[in-house]
Amino acid sequence: MLICDDAIFMRTMVGDILTQAGFEVVGEAETGLQAVEKYKQLRPDLVTMDIVMPDMGGIDAVREITKFDANAKILMCSAMGQQALVVEAIQAGAKDFVVKPFQPSRVLEAVQRVLG
Amino acid sequence: MDTSRYAELFLTESREHLSAINHALLEMEQNGGTADTVGALFRAVHTVKGMSATMGYHDVADLSHELETLLERVRRGDLAVTSPLMDVLFKAADTLESAIENAVADGPPVKIAKIIERLKAISTDTASGNGGNGGSAPRRTSGKAARQRAAKKAATPLSVPTVRADPGTIVKVTLVADTPLPGVRAVMVLSKIRALGQVVAVDPPEDDFGHDGFNGCFTCTMIGPALAPEIEQAVRSAGDVDTVQITGAPVLAARRGTTVLQAVGNEETGVKQQRHVRIDLRRLDSLMNLIGELVITRGRLFEIGRGLADPALDDSLAQASRLIGDLQDEIMTCRMVPVWQVFDRFPRLVRDAARTLGKDVTLEIEGKEIELDRSMLDEIGDPIVHLLRNAVDHGIETPDERTKQGKPAVGRLTLSAARDRSNVLIRVSDDGRGIDRGKVLRKARDTGLIDPATAELTDEELMRLISKPGFSTAEAVTEISGRGVGIDAVQNRVRALGGSVDIRTAPGRGTTVTARLPLTLAIMRALLARVANEVYAIPMAHVRETISLDGANVSTLQGKPVLLLREVVMPLVRLRDVVGLPGRVIEAGDDAEQAIVVELADKEVAVVVDQLPGQQEIVVKQFDGVRGGLNLFTGATILGDGAPALIVDVSSLF
Repeated sequence: MLICDDAIFMRTMVGDILTQAGFEVVGEAETGLQAVEKYKQLRPDLVTMDIVMPDMGGIDAVREITKFDANAKILMCSAMGQQALVVEAIQAGAKDFVVKPFQPSRVLEAVQRVLG
Repeated sequence: MDTSRYAELFLTESREHLSAINHALLEMEQNGGTADTVGALFRAVHTVKGMSATMGYHDVADLSHELETLLERVRRGDLAVTSPLMDVLFKAADTLESAIENAVADGPPVKIAKIIERLKAISTDTASGNGGNGGSAPRRTSGKAARQRAAKKAATPLSVPTVRADPGTIVKVTLVADTPLPGVRAVMVLSKIRALGQVVAVDPPEDDFGHDGFNGCFTCTMIGPALAPEIEQAVRSAGDVDTVQITGAPVLAARRGTTVLQAVGNEETGVKQQRHVRIDLRRLDSLMNLIGELVITRGRLFEIGRGLADPALDDSLAQASRLIGDLQDEIMTCRMVPVWQVFDRFPRLVRDAARTLGKDVTLEIEGKEIELDRSMLDEIGDPIVHLLRNAVDHGIETPDERTKQGKPAVGRLTLSAARDRSNVLIRVSDDGRGIDRGKVLRKARDTGLIDPATAELTDEELMRLISKPGFSTAEAVTEISGRGVGIDAVQNRVRALGGSVDIRTAPGRGTTVTARLPLTLAIMRALLARVANEVYAIPMAHVRETISLDGANVSTLQGKPVLLLREVVMPLVRLRDVVGLPGRVIEAGDDAEQAIVVELADKEVAVVVDQLPGQQEIVVKQFDGVRGGLNLFTGATILGDGAPALIVDVSSLF
């Protein structure tokens, strides 16, 4: 798992949810650029991606990552009121999304769905 | 889910974002809001919104949401950056800060309704002015997304049902009732269906999925060979689908070739080592405590070693001692944080103070990266605020006055931090009018604080005078720095931290106040004082001198014992009485009692003790105090011989 969010708070929380469910978090990224870089380096099974991040936003990061690996499994993490952006992200190649505030069960459901 | 254990992390990070918000606002006020600035501001607010919603802090989430909505309009250029807008934004940032602090502290709720209303008023005001989204709720749509959607719409007019010979397969999908962002989920479902065939009609039209009215239920018509179970499986794979009704699907069809998904190879996913970890501050405190005790034990071992005079033991001790020293340095370094963590909020503060006073001031910050022990950093914020306010209020002149004197209209204020061996120097420097020595001298003469014959004041005398409580030459009391009692408050605080304050001033050219601080609060130098069988530690920063009471000039003034030392009369306090030990029976051959002259804010008191065993570095341990007990001590420590000693709170002696 690769967790991309500019807030440590969010990274910690998502990380805890995933770790407690038995997944291994292999990396974290704070910006879109880092996310792309780390993806190439770590080749994680799944990426959780915040939409609003400095340097490169989550949506552009999704584009870059899917350009590199068309089968990349990316789960968008969005806040309320970002409907259009989430749609854009899905069109860019993200596989699913969860909405903040996170409920662990929803996050895990989405993760399972994406991992198929 | 239990979010309480994330509260601290939330607070720390939110504070960082608030600081970023304030910075961006200041920048925006100056540059009118470049895309970068507004972008940074938007991101910070957005992140706070996401975090607070997760924590269940609804006030914070609501407020940041409104702030975000407004900023989005600014970002899109719908809203001009004006002075009233900036005022509201600054106010909102302040409210956000208190709302966050309160939410975490579980304090009384901060009133956010008013500011939300103001934000909303601005948002909707211009919305109607621009006629942007008409009656529909403002949608957060990036330009790109809108363009893409428009392009797609032009290519395949989905909302217009096409009349075809093949009626196609009709798929009716209902999403789970409480699914978040049903519109997005619906788009995902639709794209799953598109993977199986051509979608020729969608009802309601896809573009309406994003509207508030969308209830998660839609029907689409597709043309393709997919069988009903296949379609249902695809639809359900999108997630959060409640029911699927499929009518008119082909009964028999050629199986399509399935795409073999390429396995994502992750053999080479070597787990990369993270270079940073976050550590609870309390852990570091306890490490510091442990190393402190190790240092004390080292002292004891040395004493034992000296008695044994074994060269092999001495060698090992020397080695262990070096290692302990290195360890102490390392742990100290871990506790160090850059001063910008506190300095970062000052530009805003100076701006506000200057605005209130009708002055123009730029604040320059130097040495942001200098590091200080966490405990110290938390303490120095207030004194610096005092100094900065003083400088803006009393130091820097109004633009008119400055121009008249041939100075640039904008005043310069510099806040700097610098390392000087084991000290950190914090300096606040302005290019204002300086302190009027003549005025201070006159006032000091009038109030009898100095010899009337004194013709000139040195910087030291000046410092001594202006740090007298209540000594002020300010004519008017202002909102910003009050009665000018700043310096003595600053000096007390810095002294309490084991530091010192020094002032340099030149008429017409400005004033520089320098606070010299030790790197940590956890270790300090103390004078040990023995009373009966107990040893107390008195922070050296407050000790001016010690004298033997033998032959000293002790008398009584208004029924109270006083010590007359070089023509200065000071109260004489027996530590024995203060701590409630029985009175001492002085026997022949006993050493004479000792007096420690302790000073605090230019007041002195002579503290009488039995003996002065010496001074040493002590490790301060926090101390909860005894319920209902005397409030005489600030902490405790363990001495080299293993005995505990209480650290006297000097201010309690006055």
